[in-house]
Amino acid sequence: MAFDAFQKRKERQLLRLLLPALIPLAVLVIYPALYSVYLSMTNEALTGLAAAKPRFVGVGNYLRLFSDARFWNSLFVTFVFVVGSAIIGQFVIGFIAALALKRKIVGSSVFGAAILLPNAAPEVVAGFMWISMLAGGDHATLSKIMIALGLPWADWLQTFPLFMVTMVNTWRGIGTAMILLTAGLSAVPTEVYEAARMDGANPRQMFMRITLPLMAPTIFLYMLISTVSTISVFGLVYALTRGGPGGKTEVISVYIYNQSFTNFQLGYGAAGAVVALVVSLALGIAYVRSLKVEV
Amino acid sequence: MNRLIAGGLAAIAMSLLASTANAETLRVALHGQAGIDAFTPTAERIEKELGVTVEIVEYPAPDKDYMTKLLTELAAGNAPDLFSIPGASDVADMVAAGYLAPVGAELAAWPGYKDFVDVAKQLAVSPDGETYVMPYILGIQQIYFRRDVLEKAGISTEQPKSWADLLDRAKEIKAKTGAYGLLFPAGTSWGGGAFAEGFSHLIIGSSTPQIVTDDGKFDLNGKGVLDVFQFYKDLIDNDLMPVDPLLGPEPWVIPKYEMFPKGELAATTCGSWCYIFDWGRESKNPIPDVTTVVGTWADPGQESGEFVLAGLGAPWAVNAKSANLELAKKALLETGSVDNQIETAARIGNIPSSNAVQADPRFQALTELVPIQAAANHGTYLKQATGMSAVSEGVARATEALLRKETDAAGAQAILVDYVKQTLGDEAVK
Repeated sequence: MAFDAFQKRKERQLLRLLLPALIPLAVLVIYPALYSVYLSMTNEALTGLAAAKPRFVGVGNYLRLFSDARFWNSLFVTFVFVVGSAIIGQFVIGFIAALALKRKIVGSSVFGAAILLPNAAPEVVAGFMWISMLAGGDHATLSKIMIALGLPWADWLQTFPLFMVTMVNTWRGIGTAMILLTAGLSAVPTEVYEAARMDGANPRQMFMRITLPLMAPTIFLYMLISTVSTISVFGLVYALTRGGPGGKTEVISVYIYNQSFTNFQLGYGAAGAVVALVVSLALGIAYVRSLKVEV
Repeated sequence: MNRLIAGGLAAIAMSLLASTANAETLRVALHGQAGIDAFTPTAERIEKELGVTVEIVEYPAPDKDYMTKLLTELAAGNAPDLFSIPGASDVADMVAAGYLAPVGAELAAWPGYKDFVDVAKQLAVSPDGETYVMPYILGIQQIYFRRDVLEKAGISTEQPKSWADLLDRAKEIKAKTGAYGLLFPAGTSWGGGAFAEGFSHLIIGSSTPQIVTDDGKFDLNGKGVLDVFQFYKDLIDNDLMPVDPLLGPEPWVIPKYEMFPKGELAATTCGSWCYIFDWGRESKNPIPDVTTVVGTWADPGQESGEFVLAGLGAPWAVNAKSANLELAKKALLETGSVDNQIETAARIGNIPSSNAVQADPRFQALTELVPIQAAANHGTYLKQATGMSAVSEGVARATEALLRKETDAAGAQAILVDYVKQTLGDEAVK
């Protein structure tokens, strides 16, 4: 009896401790998410009759979404963008940077600081900065470099739009990847490497059989964070291309924005946002389950 | 302690006074430096005549971004008291949403309105029969061509008689000069321009010149719409129109501000503003002696006829939920003054709606615009209806598919019809 009372008092105390975090979470995250689900089942709009008198349309927006070629195109573009920039670009370069920093070579601190610099520029500022480098015409930085090398130049954001956007996002995310992976590397006990060395393991074997397996939880945690955050990248892509040319860089976040705030269809845009939320959740669950990472 | 309390009370009193002062402040939304410069003298006149403070709030410059911010604020109930609407095709939808205050009675009682050309007054009337906007300037659109480029190549500068004639002229330009022969704005990046500055030029001369039926539905399945998209397709397939720039984020910049002044694009649809803002004295890349070097053709009809497209140029409107509704309506009348019309015409190049400007020496000095203003009443225009924004977006999507060579004319028409049906409901399309 006394134990039960103690347990209940402890639970109430825990709840009181959690309340400061739970209230903003409920008001700023859970309620808007639920409201988006409701909104996605209406024809709510920013203008026209639907703005004055929105009506319930059930799953109509979802049916329309799944028959919209631009929506499927945005999912494909998002897939390429996430795989290219978060999973391949940021991870590979971030991992190399983390390994390089671990070796304490000359200038590694300068290298570490330099690789973190892209995070100092806000998304939109970084976007406009890159426009000046990738724009058409022979005055753009990249074109000048190509001309100096005697190579042909192009309007890079028109000719290779998705590749360029992916490259810029890779540039921007390397620092975060490097920090997370450096933390993971520093958690690998040095004794394991010493034992392996005494057993005659070469650097490649140590990397494949010690570093990678012991880093797996960190790598998967990084993958989870970077995948979900890259799916929601908006400012950088919008500043660079606005989703163009011809939808070639219209990632899901830009698609949702265009539907909601360029075509003014809030309900339809909300349906896109709900699908993006479900995709992000599914990916998160898949990552966590695949290695039983404790998050 | 007493000082602290006294200080606090003083702060509260000052904030109350500030609130009272705010009740006499009119917030005005504007975008683009040229628009702000043109309106500033009018703002000063409003302040002087109405005894209020006019706060000009600068909004994002591209029309689409401006509308996004304005509509979001209107929906949230915190929009400015007075604002201009860059795309006249958005007016009917804003009326349906309940954002605009009716001003028909005020305009009827205002002496200056009787001098407005009939076409401006007709364009200002919404589908419900009420007037919600001040139609102070008009956009008079035609096809503008590089007379010097054509004459040098020995190509006729005579008015084309039909679409086929226009297309042949564009092919001849391409063959003899290498320049692109003709541009009709297209694609989603151009926003409302794909409809208002492109599609509209052709549909008014087609076999179905109006797309709004008497009962307010959209007639988009007709042959006229199909033929318009076929015209686009012919331009694109024959490489007569610069396609790549139209798929970029600011599609007007390269063709209008770079290619046309260089003579790399020989003809394009445009409005009277091109003589002032795009290539004239207010341009960053002006064409010397622009009115001689650049000529105009009326839009030819599909088989015959000539059309000059008239539309409202960024009409002013009053926020229906304005805390200063009566003051805002009085300020709206000042936006229709001859002074504001002339100042806007001088900065941007739109055509004043009032015939009274013809007697004003300041307007007579705008020699590029005087003959266009005199002819403004002969302009042709498209009937408006609630849902026009969706048609505009549908046209942008359909023409983008043509630009990307993903479909033919019939496919483009299907994209337009499907988009409008999905957005407004099946019953909205005839």
